[in-house]
Formats: sequence, C-alpha cells, structure tokens
Amino acid sequence: MNDTVQRPSTAIAPLTHAWLALVALSLISPFLGQWLHGAAGLQVLVAGIVWIKGWLIARQFIEIDLAHPFIRRVMRVFITFTPVALLLTVFFGRQLAGWATL
Amino acid sequence: MSAIAMPLNEAVAESGRHGRVPGNKGIWVGISCEFVEFVVLFVVYFVARAHFPDAFERGSERLSQLSGTIITLLMVTSSFFIACSVATMRAGQQRRSLVWLIAGLVVALGYPIAKYLEIQWNLANGINGESGIFFTVYYYLTFNHLVHATWGILGILWVLARHLAGGYSAEDHAGLEALASYWHATDIIWLVIFPFFYVLA
Repeated sequence: MNDTVQRPSTAIAPLTHAWLALVALSLISPFLGQWLHGAAGLQVLVAGIVWIKGWLIARQFIEIDLAHPFIRRVMRVFITFTPVALLLTVFFGRQLAGWATL
Repeated sequence: MSAIAMPLNEAVAESGRHGRVPGNKGIWVGISCEFVEFVVLFVVYFVARAHFPDAFERGSERLSQLSGTIITLLMVTSSFFIACSVATMRAGQQRRSLVWLIAGLVVALGYPIAKYLEIQWNLANGINGESGIFFTVYYYLTFNHLVHATWGILGILWVLARHLAGGYSAEDHAGLEALASYWHATDIIWLVIFPFFYVLA
C-alpha cells in the first residue's frame, strides 16, 4: 500500500496566500488598463494574469493536483483556452474575422 | 469492494491512486457543461472583437471599472471563505466551518447588489443593450454569469441549511465540497470576464 498518498489540505495559510495574490492581481488590472492604454503589450499581460488567476484557484482552492485526471484535464483546458484565444485574436484578428464571416 | 464498505484509510489510498473527485461526480458534470457553455460565449466574444476591434477598445472606457473591480473582489473573497469552510470541516472544526460558510454567503450576496447598482449606473449614463456590439456582448455575457452565480448562491443557502442541521462531518462533507467546487468554477469564469470588458482597451 502506498503510504505517501497526498490527502486534501486542512491548512488555511496556503488558501490565504492564494487569496492575497488574487486580490493583488485584481487591483493591479484596472491600472494596467490605464497605463498601457492601446498598447499591444496590455493584451499579452492580461492573458498572463488571467492564466495565473485561474491556475491559483484550480490549484489552491479546487486542489486539481489531487483530482481525477478527467477533472485535471477539464480545468487545464478551460484555464488555458481564454489566454490562448486572446493572443490569437491580438495577432491574427483579421484572419479570425475572415474565417468567421458569413 | 464498494466505497461504502471500504475502510477510510484504504478509501483515501484508492482515491489517491486514481485521483479524487472534489465533491461528487454530478457537480463535475454540471461544471463541465458550464465551462462548455461559457467557451461558446467566449468564442462569440472573440469573433465580435475580431470584427469590431475599435468598438471593443472604446467600450471598456465607458463602463464602470470600479463596479467590475468590486465584483471581482467579492467573487475571489467569497471563494476563499468557502474554501476555508471546506478546509476547517476536514479538520473536524464544524463551528469554524459554519462561520466561514456564512461569511462566504454574505460576501457572495454583494455580487447581485453590485451588479444592480452597476446596471443603474449604466442606464443613467445611456448604456443599454442597444448601445453597440460591445455592450450587447457585455450584457449577454455578464447576465449569463449572474444567472450562474445565482444558482451558486441558492446552492450556498441549501448547503448552509444542511450544515446548520449537522449534515456534514470531517468524514462526510461531499455536499459542501461540491458547492465549493461549483463556486470556484464560477469564480474562474468571472476572472475571465472581468478583463474582457473592464480592462482591455
């Protein structure tokens, strides 16, 4: 029997750290929007922040590292989809509009 | 051997080998469907953004960034409180778990209130569903999220009633964890919506 099986956490500290990081990233975002107004770099930065926030919640709050592989895959695909789609829209917006024209 | 007949340590080891299901399988069917629904809505957002980049760059300047930021803080904080409720329940601290859950509910109730005030502010500033493509997509996506958050708040009320009735213990709190998983998933969706409409310009 494997004695090193990870159990779900009962600790509050890692949850608190994740929450503080989420609050900090949420408060920074509107200022980034103002400072980098109209810059292409803003979209890349926002895509990164969206991914980090999703990863923090999935890893610390939902504990996907302990979850069934199907749940891990669902979470990872959803968290990754939006930042990737945002970057594709930034760099290939015209092509996307062309493909999506009726 | 069925999970019911299995000793606790063996059950933990078994779930450790195959990965555990936070809450129950039913809630993960629901969460997966919720993700698929929002992926479709996000595709609509990206297609609209690709077609009308100027409208989307100007649109966020007209919305209340304060409202978007407040809703974001309410969502991540209620999510944190409910995660603490699960963690303390696992540790056998029922009373603390109950207090965290009530705190999570109180903060979560701030979301519909903030959204109501935001819509009043929008209407006072001439922003409605016919103000352009950006605002049509904004209302469609944010109302949809509000509906999902309302299911979550109703779920919190149900779990709270069961908690008050002593329905959960350190060994059996799948219902509480299922609610927490749904609320965290709804939180992740909002964290995507927030920059779409309030940050990107």
